[in-house]
Amino acid sequence: MVVGDLAQEVDVLVIGAGPGGYVAAARAAQLGRSVTIVDKDELGGVCLNRGCIPSKAIITAGERFAQMKEAEEIGLEVTGEVAVNMQKLMDWKNSVVKKLTGGVGQLMKGNKVEVVTGDVFFNAKDAVRVVSENASQTYKYQDIIIATGSRPFELKILPFDGKRILSSTEALNLQEVPKKLVVVGGGYIGLELGTAYAKLGAEVTILEGTKSLLPGTDDKLTRIVSRKLKKIGVEVITDAMVQGGENKGEEVVVKATVNGEEKEFTADYCLVAVGRKPNTDEIGLEQIGVELDDRGFIKIDDQCRTSVEHIYAIGDCAGGALLAHKASYEGKVAAEVIAGQKSAIDYQAMPFVIFSDPEIAYTGLTEAQAKEEGYNPVATRYSFQANGRALSMNQSEGFAQVVADKETGLLLGVQIVGPEASSLIAEAAFAIEMGALAEDLSLTIHAHPTLPETIMEAADSLVLRLNK
Amino acid sequence: KKQKVLAMPSTRKLARELGVVITQVTATGEHGRITADDVKKFAEGGSTKSA
Repeated sequence: MVVGDLAQEVDVLVIGAGPGGYVAAARAAQLGRSVTIVDKDELGGVCLNRGCIPSKAIITAGERFAQMKEAEEIGLEVTGEVAVNMQKLMDWKNSVVKKLTGGVGQLMKGNKVEVVTGDVFFNAKDAVRVVSENASQTYKYQDIIIATGSRPFELKILPFDGKRILSSTEALNLQEVPKKLVVVGGGYIGLELGTAYAKLGAEVTILEGTKSLLPGTDDKLTRIVSRKLKKIGVEVITDAMVQGGENKGEEVVVKATVNGEEKEFTADYCLVAVGRKPNTDEIGLEQIGVELDDRGFIKIDDQCRTSVEHIYAIGDCAGGALLAHKASYEGKVAAEVIAGQKSAIDYQAMPFVIFSDPEIAYTGLTEAQAKEEGYNPVATRYSFQANGRALSMNQSEGFAQVVADKETGLLLGVQIVGPEASSLIAEAAFAIEMGALAEDLSLTIHAHPTLPETIMEAADSLVLRLNK
Repeated sequence: KKQKVLAMPSTRKLARELGVVITQVTATGEHGRITADDVKKFAEGGSTKSA
């Protein structure tokens, strides 16, 4: 059982092998440190195993299936039945996950990062104990990066049972398409999975506690998505306060108050996606004095330092936007700071993406945020209805909107709802990082016919409205 | 009011490496952009932490 107390010594220990942790480990190793990474599960963390990647695979399957059913619109007659083979779909999704986690394994190997499986507990400020099934080992480190991530937030009145009442994790591993699915929470996770399963044939109801779907997202963008949800038969009920629910064996009954009225929703599955909470409560942080905020996120400075010297934190467990790319970015910063470089969290434009139908993506400031920051903003939209590529894809819902400062023309933000918005936003983030003017976007030749022309066109109209 | 620093990511990185607080640098670029040269000049001309 317990191996001798001889501690292993490493330069850098990374706890958690998600997109923050593995990028941090690789970068620290590239900068000449001896690195050990510990995770209690598979490499790749939530994003690869039960988050971004599997959800996008299922979304793709739903999208392709829906397109086949609509193929007649563009003259493709599908004769015979188009059916979903859920077993095969899940096998394919799992194979995608496996390829990517295998890739992370190769990345660790290639950078000579030692990979250890086990639970981590802080013994002291400079040592942790790693407990695996049949062994326990103390590691002494010079620096440590905490990248323990987050987990689905559980409602006390509707606890996960993994069978009928699901977190996103189980919702990504269903062996059948639900006949009826009730989604509690209209944030991006609930919306993405709800949409995907609706396209695969489920009757989906989304219960959102606030007055709008995707709280926190510009409602001009959300409106287009709501319209499409209606079209594909997803019922969205806002101001719905869930009171509880019960697994009745073959089905689940969810109770909610909607406009003061008690209502019951019966379905074969209920997905609870009301948020995520940081994994900072079971590793002994309180004993070594690492400060948390009131929601349990680790407090960090702009170099990913916690309140304790030599202890760094990145990604979801350190709060802010809970995004994989934000975690990876911080992973590099932390590793570089440990290696003595003067890196810092310093970005102008974080891209936000929701894989809804159509996709939503935005970066920088909205018109309202720009006003709050003291700019005199002007915003111009260009519709995908006027974009040749979008029309020829038969996906012309939505628009791209460009926000700039009226006096200087400085590009402040871009919001997109429409096909491939998730890819289109990269140009916008780059432009903002480079300090581009809206005019710079309009003077850049965009290939025709392509979707990014929409951004150029929006910028083009915006330039005409500037004070010159 | 938050003042946006107008400098490319690589220029902001250069400033950090040279120990320059970029908000103190005088911008000579168009529309108030801080260039790499601005940062270098600032570092040479009296930054306490220059390399």
